[in-house]
Amino acid sequence: MGDRETGVVTLKVNGKEITVREGTLILDAAREAGCHIPTFCYQATLSGVGSCRMCLVEIEGQRKLQPSCVTPVMSGMEVKTESESVISARQAMLEFLLSNHALDCPVCDKGGECELQNMVYTYGPRKGRYAEVKIRHHEKDYVLSPVIVKNSNRCVQCMRCVRVCGEVVGRGVLGAIGRGAHQEETSFLRSYLDCDHDGMCIEVCPVGCFMRRPYRYRARPWDLRGSRTVCPYCATGCRMTIEERDGEVVRSIAREGEGFNDKMLCARGRFGYDILNSGGEERLTTPLIKKNGMFEPVSWEKALSIIREQFTKADPRRLGGIASAALTNEELYLFQRLVREVLGSGNIDSTSRWDAATTGAFIFATGITGGGVSIYDCMEAETVFVVGGQVSEENPVTDYIIRYVSDSSRKSVLVASTRAMKLDTSAELSLRHLPGRLGALFNGLVLTLYEDNQERLEGIKEIGVLKGRTVTDLAAECGVSEADLRALCARLESSGSISMVVGTDLLRFREGISGLRLLGDALRALGKVLKILPVLDRCNQRGAWDMGVHPLFGPDYRKVERAGLGCDGMLDQAMDGAMDALYVVGEDVVNMYPDRTFAEEALSRVGFLVVQDVSLTDTARMAHLVLPGAYPGEKEGTFTNQEGRVQHISRLLEPPGQARVDLEIIEAVGSSIVHGFSDGTPQTVFDEIRREVSMYRDAAFSGGSPDGWLVKKSARRLEGFELIEEKKVSLDADPEHPYFLVTGNHIFLSGSLSRRSGILNELVREAVVEISEEAAGELGVIDGQTVSVSGRGFDATYSVRIRKGTPREVVFIAENFEDKAANRFYKRGDVVPRVKITA
Amino acid sequence: MNEKKVKIVKRDTPGALDLAKKTVFLDFIKGLSITLRYNLSRSITIRYPDEEKWIPYPRFRGAHTLNRDEEGRELCVACELCVKACPTNCITVVPMEDDTGKGIADRVAKVWEVDLARCFFCGYCEDACPTTAVRLGRDYELACFELDKARKTKEELLKPQSVPEDFEGGIIVQAKLQRTKSGIKVKPNLWKKKEKK
Ligand code: SF4
Ligand code: SF4
Ligand code: SF4
Ligand code: SF4
Ligand code: SF4
Ligand code: FES
Repeated sequence: MGDRETGVVTLKVNGKEITVREGTLILDAAREAGCHIPTFCYQATLSGVGSCRMCLVEIEGQRKLQPSCVTPVMSGMEVKTESESVISARQAMLEFLLSNHALDCPVCDKGGECELQNMVYTYGPRKGRYAEVKIRHHEKDYVLSPVIVKNSNRCVQCMRCVRVCGEVVGRGVLGAIGRGAHQEETSFLRSYLDCDHDGMCIEVCPVGCFMRRPYRYRARPWDLRGSRTVCPYCATGCRMTIEERDGEVVRSIAREGEGFNDKMLCARGRFGYDILNSGGEERLTTPLIKKNGMFEPVSWEKALSIIREQFTKADPRRLGGIASAALTNEELYLFQRLVREVLGSGNIDSTSRWDAATTGAFIFATGITGGGVSIYDCMEAETVFVVGGQVSEENPVTDYIIRYVSDSSRKSVLVASTRAMKLDTSAELSLRHLPGRLGALFNGLVLTLYEDNQERLEGIKEIGVLKGRTVTDLAAECGVSEADLRALCARLESSGSISMVVGTDLLRFREGISGLRLLGDALRALGKVLKILPVLDRCNQRGAWDMGVHPLFGPDYRKVERAGLGCDGMLDQAMDGAMDALYVVGEDVVNMYPDRTFAEEALSRVGFLVVQDVSLTDTARMAHLVLPGAYPGEKEGTFTNQEGRVQHISRLLEPPGQARVDLEIIEAVGSSIVHGFSDGTPQTVFDEIRREVSMYRDAAFSGGSPDGWLVKKSARRLEGFELIEEKKVSLDADPEHPYFLVTGNHIFLSGSLSRRSGILNELVREAVVEISEEAAGELGVIDGQTVSVSGRGFDATYSVRIRKGTPREVVFIAENFEDKAANRFYKRGDVVPRVKITA
Repeated sequence: MNEKKVKIVKRDTPGALDLAKKTVFLDFIKGLSITLRYNLSRSITIRYPDEEKWIPYPRFRGAHTLNRDEEGRELCVACELCVKACPTNCITVVPMEDDTGKGIADRVAKVWEVDLARCFFCGYCEDACPTTAVRLGRDYELACFELDKARKTKEELLKPQSVPEDFEGGIIVQAKLQRTKSGIKVKPNLWKKKEKK
């Protein structure tokens, strides 16, 4: 018992002595000692309920058996996990569970991977004695959502579904109706769910109660061939396995212990896999050339020779390349080499939404060059400050991790955003600010800190720019009450360690970055341990920057001799008729550029436009030559997520027809111009990356830990982004158009990729505009009603979705509806377009 | 060392009696009389395939059939257990959802195929089936001219068996040889039993 001071406890499990941390559960201690204890209701990420009694163990000196999943260890304990009474208790529990279980395994989709089956097979009695009629909750399985189907007759009442929905997803739309044997875990009155459709309830259910609807009666687990990959829909970069039967991908699944996200996936990751099956007319299967305004198939040889001819004859300054941040590191690295070394141009970018100087400053301010930061390390901090984005919708699993870790360890979470978000309920303090006013918010915080700690912050000379400002007017500028701002600041000030989770609003609104940097400096000067986690939306955005797909820096953030043009600059130049050739890989510029009309006009003036993509996007339609590329499930490579985690993805399917893996195409284009450009295998390109990019020097291509590998600190300093000029976003009153339009990713959609998923589209049937309760009141509209939204140059009708807690003047339209593209509301240079809504 | 013992049979030189037997074909007549006698007695072979056919006992393991319940619903719930049990990997089952009442559950087989050219009639599939949907029936005329004719699909397998489940078997019945495009079949008339003494 002398262990008390050291915080460790020594106990015996099945006679084996083991020392664990104080407060460890007997279950975990036993597992550490190598003794497996069966469980149903226990789930590491959820609160303990101890309801299933599968994990009973015998403790020396205690008459009754104890549930090991909720009992913490005590010094000197002697635990037996395989004693006679334990074994017979387990059998009794299983017999009891089966006494009211449907036992329709042959029909049940869980058959073959069911925890109850496995448990009965391993520990169970081989005979049941119960002969009464079983309780049936219903005769037919019922549908809970487009992706969930339910059968309550198989339930073992472990409550995992209810807990995961509340504690991890944060929706809490499931509950238990009835008690005892009559208890049923379901939605309110078994009604159709209006929830996040993430299917976490399916993943955690140990039996076949919650089931995937798209996978319903498709296969048995042993029919499936799977491959480990990474979700392509956001930079959270969730690990998952996609599984196919007879060449058709039938599900994607995240498993415990196979990645940092364990079983967590959001709707996009869990149900967006069907893009891989979207063959048919949609999918490009052959290179196409435009002749008289019509596309005609052309052979690869011909296509490559045309490219060679056009690219070599163009002036390098009138050439450029845009590669999507959804390509692999290897592809991006090789693309960057192609543009810089082979084409001799510095015009390169990985996004069409953000401008180059702003992204550079963002990278500098968030310290991306400083190496990877695991989200779990971030969650170790006392306070987590979520700002600059809609994490709950744009990066749902990041939101889950923040929620479950903070709720279970009583972290203080602070939220500042333009719209209401799900994380508000887990936050100690959450405030709404005006769009495009993050700078004022950060500066307000810095100024408040400065007031209290003048002498310690004197060293930071940039604080000088705030001279003459007051907290009151900065608070007013960002639309936050001064008291709230000061309360937020007080929380930061009182914590020793702070993690900031910073979203892409800084890039979208092109402001607030200097403020972020200043706040970071101030907090560090006050001795706080500060970690910053950038929250990005494209799955390999961070990788794209690391690989140097940026006009202002090369691989490893190496300074480039002569800065090139970013997407903005290239379109400008094209507008002047000075772009001879442009090579676009995977990026749908027309739909993503903030001013669609301008983008279309500019692209139509490009001398020779090559677009490489999986389907005929609006951008591809404008091309002179279209090359058929591949989806992530069809290629091998690595992705680097927002944390800087490098994860290997493997290939499950072959690209259809003449379509090729993007790496091979980029290699072929390069080799057609310069002999021996690269051999183009992912492994060799990765080796090259390890040599060239210091952050990746020790990374393993494949194998390694299932959690991936965090990039190291770059050996170089990113230069030239210390100071950037930020234009103040204009929010002048416009009585004609009283609402501010904010855009971003929809919770079920991300980029244009997800629009090709039939399952995801079923979740969002129509384009939606999200408005505040107050605005709904003013307009006299209700949820689901159709309204017309008109901006200064575009109007369209949307279905209304009312969001409680969003400020009155903010409306939101997702970036993902092509037919009613939100970017049409933007005129070039607009940051916050104004709109009018009419019922 | 073993001494080799060789028995030397000394043949007698043919005598007068032998000569006489040979001249009147006595052995030949003896043999022929046996033939004649059998020719006139009742035959002991089955006149298969022209007139008769052996109907095996119910335990016989022939070609597969898929059964229905009394209401005509398919018993197979496409659980794929037969597929898993099969040592030769010759069954393919693909499930689908169908709640029109076609099957006993809302899960039915979209595809149910067995490749009889690979099957070795072990009957494991039958043992594995939780709903007694698959049975090895009593059809044993499986020869075919093309290999893919040996793949039996769900539609064929769901047709009623030529010998019903409850038929006793173990007897020879009247039958008729039929040549069809798909091959040769011998159609039994189960109710014309041929007695054997
Ligand atoms: S899908 Fe997610 S939000 Fe919906 S009920 Fe299941 S766990 Fe809850
Ligand atoms: S539905 Fe599944 S997860 Fe929920 S209580 Fe029942 S068995 Fe557990
Ligand atoms: S979209 Fe993002 S949060 Fe959702 S599963 Fe994919 S990577 Fe994870
Ligand atoms: S009888 Fe045996 S070999 Fe033939 S299908 Fe059934 S399990 Fe397979
Ligand atoms: S025949 Fe029987 S074992 Fe085979 S799939 Fe159908 S129900 Fe299952
Ligand atoms: S796992 Fe311990 S009671 Fe359920």
